[in-house]
Amino acid sequence: MQTEVLENQIRVLNIVLGALQAATGDLCKGCIGLEGAKTKVCKMVKKFGMDLDAASVGCEKTKADLQARTYSLSKAAEELEVAEECECQKTAGNCKLGAECFVNAAVDLMKLIQ
Amino acid sequence: MGKTRCGRILSEDIYIEEGDTPTLYFINQLRAYQVVLAALKALDQDICHDGCSLPSTVNKVIKRLGKLKNDLEASDVATEKKESLLSKINSFLADANKLPQDTSQTCRKSAGECRIGSGCFATVALNILKEITESEAPKI
Repeated sequence: MQTEVLENQIRVLNIVLGALQAATGDLCKGCIGLEGAKTKVCKMVKKFGMDLDAASVGCEKTKADLQARTYSLSKAAEELEVAEECECQKTAGNCKLGAECFVNAAVDLMKLIQ
Repeated sequence: MGKTRCGRILSEDIYIEEGDTPTLYFINQLRAYQVVLAALKALDQDICHDGCSLPSTVNKVIKRLGKLKNDLEASDVATEKKESLLSKINSFLADANKLPQDTSQTCRKSAGECRIGSGCFATVALNILKEITESEAPKI
């Protein structure tokens, strides 16, 4: 995998995690939307880490740097605070945004590099 | 009428009376800005810090928050609730003002540094605001 692709993935994951972190401070903390997003992002970061380990990156220093950044992202993803028991906050009558969802929009930022 | 919790903004649970759609409009906007600003702060740690799209987006956010503040001040939202929401807008404005606003910098794509393709993180981050499809802006 090219270094450029790896860097783009790290860039977007950093933004998505920033947005999801903010969502944990809202109703979304108790929402299945955020719970699902956390699972999805954790899996993505894990797979990304495995791809990175297997990739031949030109410079060892660059690879070590990418691995360190991936570790930080992995930690941030694992630490996203989600309630033990979640339910859709729209269904619960709390989230009144309409049909859409902030969390899904944040995760959709990933599509920019796909 | 009963109160429902319809948001948590800056560590404070926000409740509204059922059917209070003008107040709900402002709450939903602030919920969205909470997420948008977090995304922009993350972008500020990236090469976007030296580009032009992030400042452009930040300027839009500042302008829109200013308008939201004016609209809230002119609205008939209950005084106590209005003051609480105004303080949150001021807090978001202060956060936004700490982000880059100089649009004269070179786009990082043009500079050959940003290689994500034709899209732009800063531009799309602002689209989170479009997720709000209910609670239209009250007529002021």
